[in-house]
Amino acid sequence: MSEFSNALSVSSSGLQAQSQRLRHLSENIANVDTPGYRRKTIAFHTTMMGSDTPGLVETGRVRMDQSDLARIYDPTHPMADESGNYEGSNVNLMIELADAREAQRSYEANLRMFEQTRQMGRSLFDLLRR
Amino acid sequence: MDISALGVAKKYASAKTATEPSSSQSAGEYLAGITRDFAATLQETEETAKAAMTTGADPHALVQALAQTEMAVEAAVTVRDRVVEAYQEILRMPV
Repeated sequence: MSEFSNALSVSSSGLQAQSQRLRHLSENIANVDTPGYRRKTIAFHTTMMGSDTPGLVETGRVRMDQSDLARIYDPTHPMADESGNYEGSNVNLMIELADAREAQRSYEANLRMFEQTRQMGRSLFDLLRR
Repeated sequence: MDISALGVAKKYASAKTATEPSSSQSAGEYLAGITRDFAATLQETEETAKAAMTTGADPHALVQALAQTEMAVEAAVTVRDRVVEAYQEILRMPV
């Protein structure tokens, strides 16, 4: 339709992508003590909205972080091997928290854009009303 | 005297064609297109709202659809107000 509604859809896709990112981050944080858990990462990419209107951000495939799992010494653990170690998760809480904060900031930025677009549209119609 | 009256009549006739509405079909089609677009936006929003309430669809889509509908309704109401105002202005004109 108009550029305003295009802007609204783009902002909305950004909100959706950031909330999905936050979902995977919370999954990582919840599984920080799960043995053998690999942290999930998610990639963003752009999709074309119309013929040549670039726009909507979309989340790609979920990937597993292939870095080494933490080895934890606990001989009483049921999954411990002969040396008394078992494999924990490779989630680093510091990284996850920083990433969550970044997701929050990006979400807020998209929200502001959404609000601004609405405000601009309203001002335009106010002009017509006078 | 007679000639000048004829001239005035001619001028009046030419002015009359200028005030005639332009080919009404294109304007009508244009308005119909806008109305159809408006109705489609409303229906889309209604379906999104229904889905969000019943099946728990994405709330972002609902917010976006509501914002778009708000804009569409506001535009339609504004245009209608202007049209009604113009009619009232004509009705108030002393004949």
